[in-house]
Amino acid sequence: MTDRRRINGPPSGTRPAVFASSLKSASGISTGRPQRERQPNELRKLFLKTGLIPSASGSAYLEFEPSASLAAARSSPQSLIPPSSALKLACTVHGPKPLPRSASFSPNLVLTTHVKYAPFAARQRKGHIRDASERDLGVHLETALRGVIVAERWPKSGLDITITILEAEDDRWWGDAPDSHDAPWGMMNVLAGCITAASAAIADARIDCLDLVAGGVAAIVSDETAEGETSSPKLMLDTDPAEHKSILSACAVAYMPSRDEITEIWLKGDHSKASLGTDDKNLGHEALIDGAVNAARGAHTVLAEAVKESAERFAGLMLGGNAA
Amino acid sequence: MASTAPSLTLPPSQFARLQPHAYLLAHLSPPASSNQPSIRANGRAPSQFRTTYANTGSLTHTNGSAVVRVGDTTAVCGVRAEILPTDDIASWSVSHSSSSNTNKRRKIIKSENEEEEEEEEEEEEDPNEESHIQDLNLLVPNLSLSTGCAPGFIPGAPPSALAQSLSHQILNLLHTTRLVRAEDLRVWYQPPSLGGEELERHNAEEQMDVDVDEAARKDGEVKAFWVLYIDIMIVSMAGNPFDAAWAAVLAALRDTKLPRAWWDVDNEMVVCSDVVGEARKLTLRGLPVASSFAVFEADAAAGWRAVIVPDAEEERLIEEGDRKGIQRRWVLADPDGYEEGLSQERACVVVDKVRGKTVIVKMEKNGGWALDGKELKGLVDVSERRWEEVKTILEQC
Repeated sequence: MTDRRRINGPPSGTRPAVFASSLKSASGISTGRPQRERQPNELRKLFLKTGLIPSASGSAYLEFEPSASLAAARSSPQSLIPPSSALKLACTVHGPKPLPRSASFSPNLVLTTHVKYAPFAARQRKGHIRDASERDLGVHLETALRGVIVAERWPKSGLDITITILEAEDDRWWGDAPDSHDAPWGMMNVLAGCITAASAAIADARIDCLDLVAGGVAAIVSDETAEGETSSPKLMLDTDPAEHKSILSACAVAYMPSRDEITEIWLKGDHSKASLGTDDKNLGHEALIDGAVNAARGAHTVLAEAVKESAERFAGLMLGGNAA
Repeated sequence: MASTAPSLTLPPSQFARLQPHAYLLAHLSPPASSNQPSIRANGRAPSQFRTTYANTGSLTHTNGSAVVRVGDTTAVCGVRAEILPTDDIASWSVSHSSSSNTNKRRKIIKSENEEEEEEEEEEEEDPNEESHIQDLNLLVPNLSLSTGCAPGFIPGAPPSALAQSLSHQILNLLHTTRLVRAEDLRVWYQPPSLGGEELERHNAEEQMDVDVDEAARKDGEVKAFWVLYIDIMIVSMAGNPFDAAWAAVLAALRDTKLPRAWWDVDNEMVVCSDVVGEARKLTLRGLPVASSFAVFEADAAAGWRAVIVPDAEEERLIEEGDRKGIQRRWVLADPDGYEEGLSQERACVVVDKVRGKTVIVKMEKNGGWALDGKELKGLVDVSERRWEEVKTILEQC
């Protein structure tokens, strides 16, 4: 059944373009994998700006710094296949607004989160209707934010948070077979970005929060060494899934630095096999969570700057309004 | 004394919310004594457009992309190209055999009097071939408003009537302007001639070459089409979404690069080359630019009256006012959300310039009777100036 509210393409469907270079043997292209050029605990830069969407009560735009390989591919393109991608998303907050008449009474603020990929956001074209993974992201985001907002200050009100992902992180390197990584690792990065952006947008909407919640990602990866063997697993912060051959386990957290509280943990993968060196006595998952928290601390500094900027703009507006 | 003062003065922002019509009217027709120029509430002159920014090619996973910001309205457009093999088109074998014959015939005629038709060729090019774009749905624009761009649009809900109508307007405009050439979207295949081995190898090389000359093409075969999925996300909505969306589509299509594609006989599929140097840009026909207008009436009740025939009394008053130099009606270019809410009548003019000559590609007006032929002519002039403006913006990005 075709969607009659949208313009549909050819009824027989279309196929994504197949590149000749990806048809060749896997050994031929394995050299092209982008390499991580950051230190294991070095984060990518963030661009975060609030208030770009005036019709919303609060808004934020977030962009990750393109990884070294992508930046190189942008400046001097060699291939039409992008080596990796960098997250770009826009977040809007509408509300607090009265709940519709039909809604039942709620003594607290009712939070609705909505995450949608643009059709052109990922390597595979996304549909117009939210799929399960997008709904899943929405639920994760909601749990991350619910612990932060002081909900009892707005009884009988609703707050809509909408995130449009213009460009998502890759789940794996494009040259890898689709089943070589078992999980969509890119979603973790997307979630961390969503949390940071939503937090900035909520602050921009001037809704009372306990703290600025920031998202962070850490992963245990085993990379390829020069000899083509896999090295011992290492803990890396803010991983770009395209840069690693195999991610054993990854963790995304939503973290409030000033209260040292975590509102959301999402941990995937098998970390039991990972022995992180002899000097590290931590269990795998604790090291992972600590790593993710550290990544979130890094994001928090950017977040604080963006919120400060938003507050200054608001103060300027108030001052200007009074003077006029 | 001090206590009464606050109740009498309202900050402008509150007045604008309480009495929007009076607020805008007061800006447009300031009292003669104040000596102020007539200006819109947003500080623009009536025929002034908002500042426009454009940026292209920033999205990784697209063949072409653009962000266009017109004032506070932001549209992001991404173009994705996918392959439609002709084997998948149900009616292809039937329709193709007839069309290819006529095509061949025409090609022969063309080669005979090629010299004098050199100039005309561009215009004359395949009226029935062009319909491929329309018949096979090779251009698929979809506009999404449910991005949280404005409070009215519920995210996750099916596209609103406005979003559907905008998508269709864009589709129609793409078809009527014939902006994208069907030739750019075809993937050709030259069957190797059954000569000696050397000839075959030569041919195999040639079939890889997309730029084979027209003469060689006529015994070629279309194996697939590129389908362009043009998705527009209105990220921020502050009035006049159509102009921004269309500008974004235009900028994205100008940025679009299609990889070199050929039919791979061994795999029986279309294969693309990822070499950047071999990718081709689309060659678009012209540069149609949309300009929208809204008509603001001094009489606040004008919109309520459900009269089909112009009210003679009202018209007489306006004409009288014109004579006295009192303006009762303003045509506002590029209305923002606030002005759109206050006006019933809209007009949209899409113009293009071909060799210095202005061509009206589309003209639409609805919702009232204020704009007559004379005023529409004026709007075309304004759109012409806007065309120059947009052209420089798009060429810079």
